[in-house]
Amino acid sequence: MPEAIELRGLTRWYGKRRGVIDLDAGVHEGEVFGFLGPNGAGKTTTIRMLLGLIRPSSGTARILGLDPWRQADAAHRQLAHLGSDPGYLGEMDAASLLDYLGALRGLPRGSWRPIAERLELDPSVPVRKLSRGNRQKVGVAQVFMGREPLLVMDEPSTGLDPLMQREFLALVAEARGDGRTVFLSSHNLPEIERACDRVAIIREGRLVKIATVAALVGDHTRSVNLVLGRPAIDGAFALPGVTILSSTGQDIHLMVRGDVNPLLRRLGELDVRDIAISTPDVEDLFFRYYEGTVAGSEGRPAAPGPVDAVAGEAVR
Amino acid sequence: MTGLTLRLELRRSRTLSVGLAVVVLAYGGLIAAVYPILLTNTAAIEDYMKLFPKDFMAAFGMTGSLADPGIFFTTYIGSMLWPIVAAIAAIVLATRPTCADAERGWADVCLATPLSRRRYLGAAIASQVVILGALALVTVLGVLAVGGLVGAWFDGARFLAAGGVMWLFGCAMAGVASLVAVITLSRGAAAAVTAGILIAMYLLNIIAQIQPGLAWLSGLSAFRYAGVGALIDTGTADWAGIGAFAVVAAIGWTLSLVLFRRRDLLP
Repeated sequence: MPEAIELRGLTRWYGKRRGVIDLDAGVHEGEVFGFLGPNGAGKTTTIRMLLGLIRPSSGTARILGLDPWRQADAAHRQLAHLGSDPGYLGEMDAASLLDYLGALRGLPRGSWRPIAERLELDPSVPVRKLSRGNRQKVGVAQVFMGREPLLVMDEPSTGLDPLMQREFLALVAEARGDGRTVFLSSHNLPEIERACDRVAIIREGRLVKIATVAALVGDHTRSVNLVLGRPAIDGAFALPGVTILSSTGQDIHLMVRGDVNPLLRRLGELDVRDIAISTPDVEDLFFRYYEGTVAGSEGRPAAPGPVDAVAGEAVR
Repeated sequence: MTGLTLRLELRRSRTLSVGLAVVVLAYGGLIAAVYPILLTNTAAIEDYMKLFPKDFMAAFGMTGSLADPGIFFTTYIGSMLWPIVAAIAAIVLATRPTCADAERGWADVCLATPLSRRRYLGAAIASQVVILGALALVTVLGVLAVGGLVGAWFDGARFLAAGGVMWLFGCAMAGVASLVAVITLSRGAAAAVTAGILIAMYLLNIIAQIQPGLAWLSGLSAFRYAGVGALIDTGTADWAGIGAFAVVAAIGWTLSLVLFRRRDLLP
């Protein structure tokens, strides 16, 4: 699959201070790629290198085959960017600002209007008088008003209310439907879970995991609470990946890792009165990775080891 | 794209430009209005001036009679008001694209579009040229206009030529400020260095005038070439020195463009 973004050994140091170290990743054309990590993990540094605003200390970044530092002009024709807190000129009204930024991208005046209407943005208000959420709407209108094949966004929905967040996710879905690639750096884990095809988790400047959202969730443990009609026989749950956390005869709490089918087959043989299965969300997984409490799928430490690709999921 | 950005830069500079224009118009107009009084009281004023050491007066550009339009203009505006106004405009405008806008994130917004760094900074430099030119013109026209109203008929062509020298002096300041801004990416540092250089040159010029043994120091000072008294009064000027302003400006801006392309823009 062609790569919209390709990072190879991408490293950036700020003097002795770590930016990012040895990032290897590829974002497929047409996918929505989430980039998760806490403040200081290296997300913004990565994005600034993708935009050609700073140079890598070593390694390379490519945007649609272009070097964003050496071929910045050509690369910038292929992308639209929204920063986490864009420094818009407060004295300009949103309409003038968006017209200006649209003109720089070769867009006709008013290209932003359909998006602004969807986001219920009043374009006549000076940017300095806009609330945080409304300023963010300006940014969302800015990034979606064009037809660039790559959208790079850093915390794009910060400050948006739930309705507008939903609209934002709809815009992302439409962009993906149009075959555009979205690189979405975010703290908003539910948003990543809902919007993204794949997710990279960055911790202390290193990638610790790249996987599809489905694989990331599916590869991990589930909590299963059972109420049985009669106590299970000894060894009933001696199944691959299944651990009995507690058992009081008919009430059993299990943890299941990986494939759940053996357990489901066994449950079919038992008199199950009630069952509750909880699936970890991306947020749980993220914090586990970040806290280093979860080993990789091959049992490696989560960090600072090599990127842990989910089985069958190519990193590039 | 450059034109679009230039228009935005000029629009953003309205408050600064209008504010400084009001200052030069008000001060220049006031000084021009006083000129006829100076003319009618020349003898008394010159007697008073004789109380001061000659070298001391020369240090502040008063090498002749204040009744001479060129000496008058240089003393009150060319060597006094204009360097301050031009320095403010040059430092604010030259440090904005690479320091202030980079710090606030506006540079990121613009430079993530097809607008190249060269065009981005080029437009900002063009706005410096335009605004400094407009301020120099307003300064001279204000003096000429008020002078005409009070019956002091200054030589318009020579005053406009003096305005050209003032403009080049301002451009040289902007070129230096622009270069230091790109090197340091710090508005405070760029302002301090540029202002420091100007003050040092001003002091060098004064020392050179007061101490004959150190007269050579004036050759290192831009203020020696920025004086427009002879240009207005006799039509003569140190054209090589004035040309040096253009060279300094061109070198400063060119190096800024080259270096800015290579700078990491840190948030």
